[in-house]
Amino acid sequence: MEELKCYMPKTLREALEIKAKVDVIPLAGGSDLMVSHKRTIGLTPVFEKPVMIIRNLPELRKIYVNDKGECCIGAGCTSAEIAENKLCPWHLRQAASRMGAIGLRNSATIAGNIANASPKGDTPGPLYLLDARVKISSLRGDREELVSDFIVKFRTIDLKSDELITEIIVPYSEDDFDYIFWHKVGTRKANAISKITVSQAIKFEKDGKTVKDYRVSATATGAKTNRSRDVEKLIIGKTIEPEIIEEVVNGFDQVISPRAMPEFRREATRRMIRRFLTEAAKHPKDKVIDTYEGYSMTGAPTPRS
Amino acid sequence: METKICFRLNGKDVKITTDPLRRLIDVLREDFDLKGVKEGCSEGECGACSVLFNNKMVTSCIIPIGAADGQEIMTIEGISATEKGKIIVDAFADGGAVQCGFCIPGMVIAAYYLLSNNPDPSDDEIRLGISGNICRCTGYDLIVESIHLAAKRGGAIWKS
Repeated sequence: MEELKCYMPKTLREALEIKAKVDVIPLAGGSDLMVSHKRTIGLTPVFEKPVMIIRNLPELRKIYVNDKGECCIGAGCTSAEIAENKLCPWHLRQAASRMGAIGLRNSATIAGNIANASPKGDTPGPLYLLDARVKISSLRGDREELVSDFIVKFRTIDLKSDELITEIIVPYSEDDFDYIFWHKVGTRKANAISKITVSQAIKFEKDGKTVKDYRVSATATGAKTNRSRDVEKLIIGKTIEPEIIEEVVNGFDQVISPRAMPEFRREATRRMIRRFLTEAAKHPKDKVIDTYEGYSMTGAPTPRS
Repeated sequence: METKICFRLNGKDVKITTDPLRRLIDVLREDFDLKGVKEGCSEGECGACSVLFNNKMVTSCIIPIGAADGQEIMTIEGISATEKGKIIVDAFADGGAVQCGFCIPGMVIAAYYLLSNNPDPSDDEIRLGISGNICRCTGYDLIVESIHLAAKRGGAIWKS
């Protein structure tokens, strides 16, 4: 095969065949790659390797529920498609609906957001929380890996040169939990890059008191998205008491490692965990525990609009 | 490296032989002389370069032309020639929405995209609908009012 600068496959099979022969950069939405490789007005972006445009591959654009009841999202589905699709879990829809600007959400894809492996990426937080897996395909076959393992570290993913992310599989949804929480702290309402985003979910045993499942993940609080099953275990099997909440809050504080504005990021994360667990213990009517209503991350009351 | 790329542009089939990694905005402005597509931030955040890609609003500065192969693109030039587009353009003029005008092609496309999906939006929904379009004159209030005006004037047209 003659090496080209840009490949434009029409089918997934063709894309995998190209991937098997040439080390190409897959490009779908372009919201990260076209920006990071841009030069100036009128000049074509320059890439270090050949590019393969996969924006319109129909095989990568489906959202469905598989026979195990897991939500399967095609790698090329955009943030807007995910935000609008009720088959997608609530936490993920929240994250997708607040990612960048509207025009960008119609381009940016879920696989791109994962592959970019930025600690500020919007979708990894919910995906870590819900034990989501990436399906990776090549001519050798398919394999699956937890998103939290697939993102190895800052800007590094576990993908061989002949492989392509083809699907994201999310085994849990809001239906598996009694209370859910998602809050993104950004510098403005729209178009914001995350300062911190915290996702949480909790499920009680039938007695309504003992915690059966609790999860928390945080974005932009370290070199990669943070989640710690050890910290979550501190509360699982117990009832929510103020001392237990502080154990979780302090435990999670040990897990995160924010670089810029660490005091702010740590304090805001502590407050969000404390708030969610305190409210969940009161068993409110609404499943979604909101941060905004009458509550501020800085402690002062927030005026209701 | 040049490749032949065929797509539908403002309702007409077009073809071009070019580097597939050139940005859609550059091809639209330079090869098709569609200068209504404006370049603001070059990062997909400001909305000045908005076009419709298969009827979805996108920022053309982050899309390589190769991704448009076989797809449908509508720019402000195509939209303002439609009945719906004319209603918005007139409402913007009558409502005094335009100051320096640089963001306006993108704003009109955002308004078109919003009203096509939500014919009778609230104030908040309009503000959300144009949240991806930045106006450095900061004249948002008159733009919001003009979109209300376009919704009112268009009436049933937006539901068709």
